[in-house]
Amino acid sequence: MPVRFSIASLSTVLFRPKAVFEALAAAEPSAAKVFFGFALWIGLLPAVFAYIGTVNFGWRLGVEPVFLPQRTVFAISVAYFLALLLGFLSSAVIARWMAVTYDASQSLGRCYALMAIVGAPLAVGSVIHLYPHVFINVLVLVPTLIWSMYLLYRGLPVVLQTGPNRGMLMASALIAYLLVAAVSLLGITVALWGSGLGPLIGN
Amino acid sequence: MKYADRIVTAFTACAMIWAVLGMMAGVYVAAELVWPTIDFGQPALSFGRLRTLHTTLVLFGFGVSALIGTAFYSVQRTSHVRLFAPGLAWFVFYAWQLTIVLGGASVMAGWNAGKEYAELEWPFDIAIAIAWVAFAVVFFGTIGRRRMEAIYISNWFYGALIIVVAMLHIVNSLALPATIGKSYSLFAGAQDAIVQWWYGHNAVGFLLTGGFLGMLYYFLPKQAEQPIWSYRLSIVAFWAFVYTYIWAGPHHLHYHAVPEWVQSLGMVMSLILLAPSWATMVNGIMTVSAASKKLRSDPALKFIVLSLAFYGLATFEGPMLAIKSVNVFSHFTEWTIGHVHSGALGWNALITFGTFYFLVPRLAGAPLYSAKLANIHFWLALAGVMLYVLAMWGAGVSQGVLWLSLDQLGEVRFSFNDVMAAMKPYYALRFIAGLLFLSGALLMAVNLARTFAGRRTVEVAPPAGHRAGAPA
Repeated sequence: MPVRFSIASLSTVLFRPKAVFEALAAAEPSAAKVFFGFALWIGLLPAVFAYIGTVNFGWRLGVEPVFLPQRTVFAISVAYFLALLLGFLSSAVIARWMAVTYDASQSLGRCYALMAIVGAPLAVGSVIHLYPHVFINVLVLVPTLIWSMYLLYRGLPVVLQTGPNRGMLMASALIAYLLVAAVSLLGITVALWGSGLGPLIGN
Repeated sequence: MKYADRIVTAFTACAMIWAVLGMMAGVYVAAELVWPTIDFGQPALSFGRLRTLHTTLVLFGFGVSALIGTAFYSVQRTSHVRLFAPGLAWFVFYAWQLTIVLGGASVMAGWNAGKEYAELEWPFDIAIAIAWVAFAVVFFGTIGRRRMEAIYISNWFYGALIIVVAMLHIVNSLALPATIGKSYSLFAGAQDAIVQWWYGHNAVGFLLTGGFLGMLYYFLPKQAEQPIWSYRLSIVAFWAFVYTYIWAGPHHLHYHAVPEWVQSLGMVMSLILLAPSWATMVNGIMTVSAASKKLRSDPALKFIVLSLAFYGLATFEGPMLAIKSVNVFSHFTEWTIGHVHSGALGWNALITFGTFYFLVPRLAGAPLYSAKLANIHFWLALAGVMLYVLAMWGAGVSQGVLWLSLDQLGEVRFSFNDVMAAMKPYYALRFIAGLLFLSGALLMAVNLARTFAGRRTVEVAPPAGHRAGAPA
């Protein structure tokens, strides 16, 4: 079954990942198609959900909700989208860079496709951003994250055409990168916040 | 002459017992943060005492027992000689275990020197110093009698651990005893704080990082059946690591009453530290990347590979949190606790688990009792540490935002109580994460005990021959 990697194939990616893996193993996708047909759009979802949720319900950190001016929320959502995009692109490029070490396919299209599949459950799970209560978001996104990691470990050896042992090592190396990227994002955010760039809470 | 391996078995067994007990204490204090009344009004069960018991048992009971045991195992094999002064090695074993038993009891009884990670009172400090010097004599004595010219890289790390921890422990523990159970630090005020965090951060550096890197450099190539990717890089990283780490302590004292330049120096040195830390991570990842073994069926290697990922996270997150503009937000929040546990659970515990899954079947001369149980342990450990870290990130960032929120008048908007109440769900998640990790450790203890019960112990002799150029 050929995978066209358009936003229409989202349900296939979510519910029949094995079929997608096998299709990708057979035919090499083009990087541009994966990006413009799929990744860009699912990357928009979390930002849009976060915008709608924050404007309507405010951030709920366990005490009274924090409402921010609409312009600020918009700026944060755009920054969120750009950060996700950067995360997606850098992960794909890093995967391609690592591929040399693990005897995996160095096709950029395959790396894009793999990262798009891994990110898909998280993009859909981000529907919970519509109600931005931090704890409820953590509760929903942690199992989603586990599903994504499972897709990474299962999908990588098939999509990037390497053995199961090498695939497991490469997936672990990618997880190290993703963990570092996540904590960097956290650090950059609070450092910018500390230096006055960001929402002024309470004013 | 055979290698002295019974001592290694003894340390390994005790390390497992302390791991289980220490993690139980950790899970209990995590539960106390959710249900504060479960101390039942007993001082011995109060958070302050049990939390100290937790850190003492996992750091000094589990961590140090594992380090001494693996150091004794690997130094014999990389030196091609039997352990120097095996009787003294047994003295180290009994002295150390007795110190942990009595020290743990003293903490529950309320003795506390008031220094973080150095809470044991002066009689125990003296006992630790004596046991540690005896450890040094056995270790360096073995190296002195080696039949190889080169000193293998793992021994450099173990050696640095021994020398630096002796120095840190003795200086930081200098105190005037008032009674048998109470002493007062020789240093006062800000100087005491600086000495304490010089000790505290280098205990993290040379014990939790350097010592366990010694473990990594011996057991990773062994288990992967691959030589170190770049031996030269390992040596360069060692010296850079030793030189840089010792300066990083003041980042624990950002915005405190210590000189500004001391804080900035601590921050800059912490940032530089990323280079040697990651050089080692790259070396480890590249060594294992060529492994042709069946990784999926080899639990030991799985644990070691995952520990490298968390080592990468923790050694990146640390320098980042040391940046003052990040620290202003993160200091005193649960983010710090999450960071410590991504290192302690993700790196230290996982590499030790991997090493023990390698070591115990060899010590017992029998295959691992159940690879399936070990695989279940792997997923429990991964789920536990991930959930722990994510829960603490959520809690820490929420705390940071709430504490820095001001109202229209520029006053703090949320009271400490409000913020604590908001943390409850995260504390519940952390409790679950701890339970997952603890249950994995329990499975491992059973697995290793069953493996050892079926032992057909083989004693191995050092290879014959004279001084050779390269280590085995």
